[in-house]
Amino acid sequence: MSIHIHNISKTFGSFHALKNVDLEVNTGELVALLGPSGSGKTTLLRIIAGLEFADPGEGSIQFHGKEVTNHSAYERKAGFVFQNYALFNHMTVAENIAFGLKVMPRATRPEREDIDKTVAELLRRIALEGYGDRYPSQLSGGQKQRVALARALAVEPQVLLLDEPFGALDAKVRKTLRKWLRQFHDETKVTTLFVTHDQDEAFELADRVVVLHEGDIQQVGSPQQLRENPKNEFVADFLDCVMI
Amino acid sequence: MPAIIDLAPTHTARPRKATSDSLPARILIIGTAVGFMGLMFVLPLIIIFQEAFRKGWEGFAEAFDDRATTHAIWLTLKVAAITVPLNTLFGLAAAWCLSRFRFRGRRLLSSLIELPLWVSPVIAGMVYVLLFGAQGLFGPSLKEHGIKIIFALPGIVLSTIFVTFTFVARVLAPQMEAQGQAEEEAAMTLGANGWQMFWRVTLPKIKWGLLYGIILCNARSMGEFGAVSVVSGHIRNKTNTVPLHIEVLYNEYQFVPAFAVASVLALLALVTLILKTLTTTQRGAA
Repeated sequence: MSIHIHNISKTFGSFHALKNVDLEVNTGELVALLGPSGSGKTTLLRIIAGLEFADPGEGSIQFHGKEVTNHSAYERKAGFVFQNYALFNHMTVAENIAFGLKVMPRATRPEREDIDKTVAELLRRIALEGYGDRYPSQLSGGQKQRVALARALAVEPQVLLLDEPFGALDAKVRKTLRKWLRQFHDETKVTTLFVTHDQDEAFELADRVVVLHEGDIQQVGSPQQLRENPKNEFVADFLDCVMI
Repeated sequence: MPAIIDLAPTHTARPRKATSDSLPARILIIGTAVGFMGLMFVLPLIIIFQEAFRKGWEGFAEAFDDRATTHAIWLTLKVAAITVPLNTLFGLAAAWCLSRFRFRGRRLLSSLIELPLWVSPVIAGMVYVLLFGAQGLFGPSLKEHGIKIIFALPGIVLSTIFVTFTFVARVLAPQMEAQGQAEEEAAMTLGANGWQMFWRVTLPKIKWGLLYGIILCNARSMGEFGAVSVVSGHIRNKTNTVPLHIEVLYNEYQFVPAFAVASVLALLALVTLILKTLTTTQRGAA
């Protein structure tokens, strides 16, 4: 599914988090939103998910050509993965993963056995077979984030949004999960956007990288384009490469 | 041989923490606290039960074989049955507002919720008399429609709601604020509507705090004296709640019945205390 963002602004009081942002994400792309903290990247991701609403005005967001600007998060159903996992602590791992399926309207909700099957399949995919009956508090950070991913994927979202998904994990786990995500994306081709402040992560994972600074998009391009041809001093400086 | 500063401990006693006090100081502080509690809280409780059973179990039971007493107990249960669910809803709504939204007047709302704690309950009763009493603001039009609020059940319920409004909201607001709303946001992106989000995610998170608030609200609504006293009119078999009935009995020198009924309220307090301790442990564990 493609995402079309046109002229989106967001202010918190007198702070301009986003200024007239335009962005196109193509179906099946893996895109990184890269920038220092306070650059507006998380705000942009949350606006796409419907967890935050842009300033009313000309701006619009379309999912695959369909206007969703005023749709709530639960109508948009974008898979969202939070930096601090946001797992339901009172539910088991299996119940967490099944949540999105269980809250579907009766007409479209899968049968109980099918839900169990989906959960088992997802547990296998995230290499946590046999962990279904545990509670989130009994898992490590990396395991929690894999459960969060599985939970988001259970409802087969058309778009996957990840907010600093590996930010709270140690370097080694982060590397493994990065590889896993890339592999997963190559298999499923779900349109994916992820927020990061780590340029290595962005360059290693993404097809295209969006560089943000103070609520403005500075440059959009493939990792190679950015490295070889930074558009301005900020991009060059942030990516730590020499401007030609 | 040069003098060496001896860094090794000279004795093997347990090291004292910097914040701990000496033994006499501890005895003094703990003794004062325990003594005060015993004198001010435990002793009166014992006396209540002692007075209630002065004429034995039969005298105690006799106190409840009285129409006015049973009526007062029923009325109090009725008032609590109306007040507690309403204030649970109000408290939830207020806590939700305060913890989830940032709006103009949020601080004002937050202090207004505490109003019942620093306003004398008598005033709570008085404002309703001024509003709904015969000479009150809405008095004439209420009389026209034959609606009786003051000196009747609605007035008692209203003033009890006023006095007990604060409990659920005050317990829940800080808890919900601290828990944040990441889990709720996750539920929404997974397709849960507001109702599903509340029942499946929010309520399980706050259930112990909510129960704690409800217990406090219930205890106060059954025990409230001042506010109810102003609006009730003390009509025996009609508008006397348990606390008011105790006062009537006491003023009529019926000491055994007065303390017998009072012991029921005291028992309620003890049960509340136990439930409160249980829910607090659960909240700590959750």
